[in-house]
Amino acid sequence: MAEHRASFARLTLLYAGAFVIGALSAWLWLTRVGISGVDAGIWRVNLLAGSSDADAYTRARIALAAVLALDRSETLYYTTERDESGEPLRAECRYLISGSPPPSRWWSITAYASDHFLFPNAARRYSVSGETAPLDAAGRFSAELGPTHEGDGIWIPTTGSGGMRLTLRLYGPAASLQQAPQSLVAPSVRRTGACP
Amino acid sequence: MSKLPIRWRLHAPLALLVVVLSHMLAVWALPRVIMDRVISLGDREALTQNSETGVYLPPPTDHTQRRIVMPSPDLLYATCAYDVGERPLRVTLDINYPRYWSIALYASTSDNFFVVNDRDAAGAAVEFILQGPNAQASARGTSENLGTVIRSPTDRGFLLMRVLVNDDPAVRASAETARRQLRCQSL
Repeated sequence: MAEHRASFARLTLLYAGAFVIGALSAWLWLTRVGISGVDAGIWRVNLLAGSSDADAYTRARIALAAVLALDRSETLYYTTERDESGEPLRAECRYLISGSPPPSRWWSITAYASDHFLFPNAARRYSVSGETAPLDAAGRFSAELGPTHEGDGIWIPTTGSGGMRLTLRLYGPAASLQQAPQSLVAPSVRRTGACP
Repeated sequence: MSKLPIRWRLHAPLALLVVVLSHMLAVWALPRVIMDRVISLGDREALTQNSETGVYLPPPTDHTQRRIVMPSPDLLYATCAYDVGERPLRVTLDINYPRYWSIALYASTSDNFFVVNDRDAAGAAVEFILQGPNAQASARGTSENLGTVIRSPTDRGFLLMRVLVNDDPAVRASAETARRQLRCQSL
């Protein structure tokens, strides 16, 4: 009888362990493996965000990182976690974001901490957008990103340390961009100064 | 190499099958669990505002907002959590806001199955009936006279209105007025 109980306990442990391993592997796969998509420079866009055509993995990743995303015909979401030199973006470093306004009705670039929420700051500055970004004589915009800034232009403050993510939202993207999102002349993100 | 006992030859592949199935179940369930939280939260928030319009008006987005990941600080939102399993929902919006706005519908699977924006509306009022996946068009008092009918792939879901704003107080006031015109009313 005791041997029977021990055998039952071992089998229970085996199947419970198998269940946990399966669920854990799903979590690691969803959170550690980058989202698939199309690249435009350092930016990546997933064309199935919000779509009913999305596969199960894409749907789960979008739900984790950007739930309530809009379909590509309404909005394209480009994201990056790297700068132009391929280094991971870090909240303690300073960057210059610059580029030409993308072909869309409206655009914005927002900085998110590694937990996918906005960086706390008293000025409540979290983004640069087509509504706020002044253009220079060449029709280009620029914004500083980091814990401190030097210029008088737009500054998106970051706080703390660790990784961060930039999201470029294009509302009402041009038809050409919807068809070929990799053709975006994407804003550049260059580190300025030394990183502590 | 010693042979596995017969019961382990049975249970080892079964355990492997459990690993695969629980992996697939977790991937399938995750967006549904997250959406369930979003919808439940929307329900509770609408109750806190004691709204007769069925709409919840979140405060302007800033870093203190930690309910939904990756919020846009450049938009004002209005939300309706819905359940059209029993009764359809009438959604109306009559505004003349000169910037981008949209109404998006999400199923409980997280899929965005419908969007209407300011250009689609072209200055006209938005009005549609939202029905559940199993609703009969003629049942429960609905009829072709009710206008555009949209079928939600799932009974429960979430409506999210986005209104583009900037730092101009006049624009913010105008956007606030715009989102207050949204109505989500069960029939």
